[in-house]
Amino acid sequence: MRSEYIVPIGPDGIYEIKTGTWRTTDPRIDQDVCIRCGVCLMHCPVGAVKREEGRFTIDLEYCKGCGICAHECPKGAITMEGRLSA
Amino acid sequence: MSHVEVMNGNRAAGIAACLARPDVIAAYPITPQSSVVEFISRMIAEGKLDAKICEVESEHSAMSVLEGASLAGARTFSATSSQGLALMYEPYFRASTLRLPIVMAIANREMISPQTLWASAQDSLSVRDAGWMQFYAEDNQEILDTLLQAFRIAEDSRVLLPINVCYDGFYLSHMSERVVVPDAEEVDAFLPDGYDPEHIVLDPDRPMAVDPLTNGDLLTEYRAKHLAAQQAALQVIEEVDAAFSNAFGRSWDGAVEPYRIDEGCQAIVVTLGSMTGAGREAVDRLRDDGEAVGLLKIRAVRPFPAREVREQLAGVPAVGVVDRNVSFGWNTGIIYQEVSSALYGVQGTARIPIISGLGGEDITVEMFEDALRKILVAGRLSSERRDETPETIWLRQEKEGGAA
Amino acid sequence: MNILEKLSAPDMISPGISACVGCNVELTLRTVMRIVGENSVLAIPPGCMGGVGVVGWDKLSGARVPVFFPLLTNTASMLSGLRLAYDRQGKTDTHVVAFAGDGASVDAGFQALSGAAERNDRILYVCYDNEGYMNTGYQRSAATPKGAWTSTTPHGKLQVKKDTPRIMADHRIPYVATCSPAYIADLVAKVEKAKANRDGFSYLHVLTPCVSGWGFPPEQSIEICRASVQTRYFPLYEVDHGQYRITVDVPKPRPLKEYVGRLKKFRQTTDSDLAEMQTLVERQWHELIALERATQDPEMARAG
Repeated sequence: MRSEYIVPIGPDGIYEIKTGTWRTTDPRIDQDVCIRCGVCLMHCPVGAVKREEGRFTIDLEYCKGCGICAHECPKGAITMEGRLSA
Repeated sequence: MSHVEVMNGNRAAGIAACLARPDVIAAYPITPQSSVVEFISRMIAEGKLDAKICEVESEHSAMSVLEGASLAGARTFSATSSQGLALMYEPYFRASTLRLPIVMAIANREMISPQTLWASAQDSLSVRDAGWMQFYAEDNQEILDTLLQAFRIAEDSRVLLPINVCYDGFYLSHMSERVVVPDAEEVDAFLPDGYDPEHIVLDPDRPMAVDPLTNGDLLTEYRAKHLAAQQAALQVIEEVDAAFSNAFGRSWDGAVEPYRIDEGCQAIVVTLGSMTGAGREAVDRLRDDGEAVGLLKIRAVRPFPAREVREQLAGVPAVGVVDRNVSFGWNTGIIYQEVSSALYGVQGTARIPIISGLGGEDITVEMFEDALRKILVAGRLSSERRDETPETIWLRQEKEGGAA
Repeated sequence: MNILEKLSAPDMISPGISACVGCNVELTLRTVMRIVGENSVLAIPPGCMGGVGVVGWDKLSGARVPVFFPLLTNTASMLSGLRLAYDRQGKTDTHVVAFAGDGASVDAGFQALSGAAERNDRILYVCYDNEGYMNTGYQRSAATPKGAWTSTTPHGKLQVKKDTPRIMADHRIPYVATCSPAYIADLVAKVEKAKANRDGFSYLHVLTPCVSGWGFPPEQSIEICRASVQTRYFPLYEVDHGQYRITVDVPKPRPLKEYVGRLKKFRQTTDSDLAEMQTLVERQWHELIALERATQDPEMARAG
C-alpha cells in the first residue's frame, strides 16, 4: 500500500525539481553598478532574485540560467559567468 | 406527516431532490427529463428550496459544475438522459474516480441514431463501467424513495461514490401515479448530516493538490479501493433499505426483488425498470394456468448483485432476461450478459436472451406471457441442450399486416 | 506598496517546476499568484503548467494553495461550481482562479468559458496564450496567428488568430484585460483590478511567447514580449465595465518585422504575408481606438 488515501490527492508536501542543476552559466550582480531598479526581479521566471533592504541578490538554488536578468538589466550590472563542469 | 399526491416520475424525482437539501444543482434540459429541472428552478425561485442552481449551457458543464461544487464540500444533484449523458461522459467518469457522492437521476432514453426521444435503458447501461452506482426504478414511488436512499448510500464513508437513479422515459417520467411524499422532518431524520468530505476537498484552510499526475502503481491502488467500495456498497444498500423501511414503512428489497420464485419454479423472467409491472401480471396469469413461473426484478445494476442473482436463479430449468437495450457485438442485451456472468459454472439452467421495447415500444402483458411460455419450453429441453447457446428472442408486438 | 514590494509577496508555486528555461508562462503564473495570494483555489487544466508540475505528482502538490486539474474542456465550469459552493459557505473572499492555456480557453474549453462568462460567475480567469498546444508538441490552436509554423500547420496556419479578449468583452463581463510579461507593473495593476472585481467575471489574456515552440533564445524572452506590444501586434488594453482603454499607448509602432522576423515560427513568412499581417494589426489598433472613443463618452456613442 503506497497510499493511505482513497483518491488521488496531494496533501503530503510540495513537489519540486532541483532546477538549479540545469544551469551552465551563473548570473552575478555587480553591486557597485546595480542601481536597484528591480527589473531583474520583475522578470525572473523562477523568482530567484531576492530583495532585502533595497539590495538585490540571486538565490542560485532554482536558477535555470536563462539569462533574462543579465539581458534586461539597464546598466549591464549582471553577467552570466560560465562555470566548470562539476 | 407524509401525504399522498398524484404525480409523474419527473416530479417525484424533483421532490426527492428538494427533500434531500442539496447545496448546488446544475442540470441542462433534455427530453424527457426537462420538467425535473423546471420543478427545482421553480422551488428555488419561490423560496421553497434553499439551494444554488447553475443555469449551465450543456450537460458537460452541468457535471463539471457539480464536480467543482462537490470538491468544495457541497451536496449536489443533477438529472439527464441519453444524449446529455453521453455528452457529459468526460467529466462523468471522474466523478466516480474522484469519489464524489453526486446523485443524478436519469430518465432513460434511447441513444440517437435513429432520431428518437423514447424509452430504453441504452443510455445508462452504456456507461455502467464508469464507476458510478446505478439503480433502476419500477414506478414513481420507487424513484422518490430510491433517490432519498441514494444520498445516504453515496455519502456513507464505506462507499463515497456517485449514484444514478434511472427510470424509463415517458413510461415513468411523464406518467402519473399515486405517490406518498414523506414530510421534510422525516427526511431530515433519515439524512441528518450534511456532506462534509474528509477524503477530498478544495479548501484554502487545508491546501492540497486534487488529482495530480499519478504513477501507475498508485493509480492501480486507487482503482482497487474503488472496486472494493462498490463491493462494500452491496451491504450498505441492504442496510439503508432496512433503515428506510423503519423510517417510512416501505422497503424495496435491496438489490434484487424476487416475485413468486419458489422451490418448484420452472421458469423465471428477469426484468429491469418499469416493464416489471407487466411482467408480474403475466406471471400471475400463467400461475393461474398452473405454470410454475416467477420473476426477478433487478434493482441495482452497479454494483451488480451477482451473489443474490445466482441464489435466485441457479437450479431453475430456464431463465429469460428481458433487455430494453442491445449489446452490439454480442447479439444479446446487456443485462443478459451480466446475469450470465453471475451464473457462470451453473449447469442445467437455460439462459434466454430477450430483446424488447426498444425505442419506447411497449412491452405488454401478452408479450411477457409469450416470453414466459418460450422460457418454459427451453426449460423442458434436456440438460445438455439447456446449456447450449440459445437464439436471441426479439419480442415484438404483433403488427397488423405482417410479421413483427 | 510599490511594485517591488508587491512582487516580493510569497510565491504560491513550487520553486522548482520543469518549465523551459526563460518561460514567460512561469513568470506570469508566479506573478499572478503572488498578487492573488493564499486565500484562493487554483485550476490548472492540462497544458504546460500542469505538465511541469504545478498540480504536483502522486501525493505531493506543486502549489501552496489548493490546486487541481480540471479537464481541458471544463475549467470555467468547474470554477463556476466552486464559486457557488463557496458563496453558500460564506467563503465569498476566496478567489477562484483559472490559469489556462490558449488551448483550454479558446478551443476545447471555449464553450465552458463562454457559458461561465454569460452567467457572469465571479471567477478570475487568466488565459496564458502561447499561440498553440505547446506542451504536447506545438500543435496549432485557434490562437495561432496566420502564417505561423506549428507541428500541425508546417507550411503556416491558413486562418487568422481568434481574437478572444474582444469576444470575452462582448460577453459584457465587468473586467477584461490583455497583459504582457514585459509590462509587469501594467500586469500587476490588472490582476489587482480583477482580484477586486466583485461584480462578476474577470478575464485576463496574457501573450506569453514560447521559447521552445516559437524559436528564440531564452534571454530574449522579455524583449520579444516588448516587441509584441511595441509593434502593436498585441495591444495592451482593458475593458472595465464596458469602457475600453488602451493602457500602454503605442503612438509610434515599430515595424511588425521587428517582432515576426525574430521568431523561427515565422521563418517561411513571405513579404506579402507580412504585409497582410501588418494590415490586420493596424485594423485591430484602429478598432480599439474607436471602441475607446465609443465607450468612454456616452454622449458621443448616442450621437452615433
